[in-house]
Amino acid sequence: MNTAGGNIERVVGLERSPMESASASLNAPIWEDVLAQAITGELLAAMNYASLSEICDDPAEVADALEHAEIERGHAARFAAEGRKIGVDVSNNVGAKHWKRLREAFLRCVAERDFIGCLIVQEIMLESFAVASYARVGRVAPGSLGKTFSTIAAEEEEHVDHAMAILRAERALDAQRFDEKVYRLHLDVMTTLAQMLAKECKDGHCEVCHNSCVKPALFDVSLSAAELRGASLRQYLKALDMLGVPGEVTLTWVTQLPV
Amino acid sequence: MGDSIASVIARERTGEVDFALIGHQESWRAAADVLAVLRGPERMPLPDDEVKDILPWIPPRAVCHVEAASIAGKKAHGLYIESFIPPDRLEAAYVHENLARVRGAAAYAIKAGAKIVSLGGFSSILIEGNFDQLPERHDTVFTTGNTLTVAFIVQGIEKMCALEGRDLESSTLLVVGATGDVGSGCARCLAPMVRRVLLNARNVERLHRLGAELQADGVHVEIATDLRQFSAEADLVICAASLAAPSLLLGRIAPDAIVCDAGYPKNLSPRVELPGAKVFFGGLGQITGGLRFAPDFRGVLNRHPFPDVVHGCLLEGMALALERLFEPFSQGRGFITPERVEEIVRIAARHGIYRAPLYNGDGPVICSSGYFDSAACA
Repeated sequence: MNTAGGNIERVVGLERSPMESASASLNAPIWEDVLAQAITGELLAAMNYASLSEICDDPAEVADALEHAEIERGHAARFAAEGRKIGVDVSNNVGAKHWKRLREAFLRCVAERDFIGCLIVQEIMLESFAVASYARVGRVAPGSLGKTFSTIAAEEEEHVDHAMAILRAERALDAQRFDEKVYRLHLDVMTTLAQMLAKECKDGHCEVCHNSCVKPALFDVSLSAAELRGASLRQYLKALDMLGVPGEVTLTWVTQLPV
Repeated sequence: MGDSIASVIARERTGEVDFALIGHQESWRAAADVLAVLRGPERMPLPDDEVKDILPWIPPRAVCHVEAASIAGKKAHGLYIESFIPPDRLEAAYVHENLARVRGAAAYAIKAGAKIVSLGGFSSILIEGNFDQLPERHDTVFTTGNTLTVAFIVQGIEKMCALEGRDLESSTLLVVGATGDVGSGCARCLAPMVRRVLLNARNVERLHRLGAELQADGVHVEIATDLRQFSAEADLVICAASLAAPSLLLGRIAPDAIVCDAGYPKNLSPRVELPGAKVFFGGLGQITGGLRFAPDFRGVLNRHPFPDVVHGCLLEGMALALERLFEPFSQGRGFITPERVEEIVRIAARHGIYRAPLYNGDGPVICSSGYFDSAACA
């Protein structure tokens, strides 16, 4: 297993009430797997931003990408700290099969020095998934665990705005070319994300969950895989709406994803 | 697949959007069929459980382009915008959620630059008393489409009476959901033609108001919130609102009554609940100049036994677009008059939009004489 949590820091001094601890600890194995997915996603985002900085020409953009990488590492650290509070040392695996494919898709954009492609993959596709699923987890997770998910969801949503402005300006130059690029990346990235978000992992273990697949157990914490998928795809459709890609086209893209 | 659709849409989008139709599906089967068309023939349709899991998360948006053709040679271009209201949430309990969806669909229509927007089915019911809740708009007008719906219901009643050899003048008409926009419009149009009118609705105050209005015109009116309170059996019935239980009509109307099911969803089955009654679906029209969908949603968005049949509320927007009359023809609740009904019928007829052939849940209506009403009626 490839653990890429080198920058995870131990967080001390964050106490939770005995009630909260008991509630979260009761379902600790479930939260452990939810946190493992979140930490893996954050570390992958950090790696993606670091890679993005290598193809930026403008020093301000380089600094911006590196700052984002640091923010994502910070998110991973906060999630890891929440794990420790419920008594688990959460692992991560950016080399797990789905996450690895997502990273490879991003690296293909980097290899082509396709700055816009990188933003589409990270800010529109991966962040839609993160924002929506963290927000749903934040609603049901107890105490500081829930607050952390909600806060990070809000932070992720905020930093999408900057990328959105760049992408809208790019689309204004040539809408058809831009939409074709989004579609090409959609087929690559969103197909993988849809497989990750499917109600059941049909092609074997995801290589992130600690033991068996966490999805069937999500009902025990008032969540479901269908809800996380639905919220993520809705967020993605709304992000594409904000870019100006026609809604009737993106609807077709999304309905054609695997289930 | 995505590329070809994208290019079709890109071509279609170069034109203006004359009209937008806001609709929803009345059953999970219909919703599944919409998603199946979007997935394309080369992909397996989604299993039923996936349809129920996915559909409620889809934000309102256009699913296809629509081209309406007039017999006068004109064409109008529009969008069908699906609100994605889950079919099992067409109830009062979900009113806020559904209003938000209709508002979302309205915002989509405005952003697309639609000149006139027709509110279909449940959307119309939700908005008729809440026009102020629609998003701010500049060059887009909204119509509930209820005036043309009323026209087709009234024409359907007249046609069924003619086919069954019934005398309208000696009939007792019951309107269920009488204080709604469609119910009150039907009552105003038909009251002068019948012997007695029975008005049924839940809101007593509005019932009194409508009853007094008709009485002032010399109509014999009874009002009641409970069907059991009426002194006479009706032989003509318009259900402008869905009945909680269709069996409520049993024993309250004449066994061979003519019943127009014009509610949403349509839930009167002639064989099961009303074996002796002549039941037909009201408020439907046919656009004889033709209707084209891109992608091809024929028979999916308009699931009727006859071609190019559409709900009157949606046809009103198309008729006005073909007429280039971009005005909010039907707005608010309780303003539909016989004069306005005549006006929209004239406009619709100029473009070959007529009442649809009569049918019900069992198929085309076959009358006692064996006559089969198969052609749209000018």
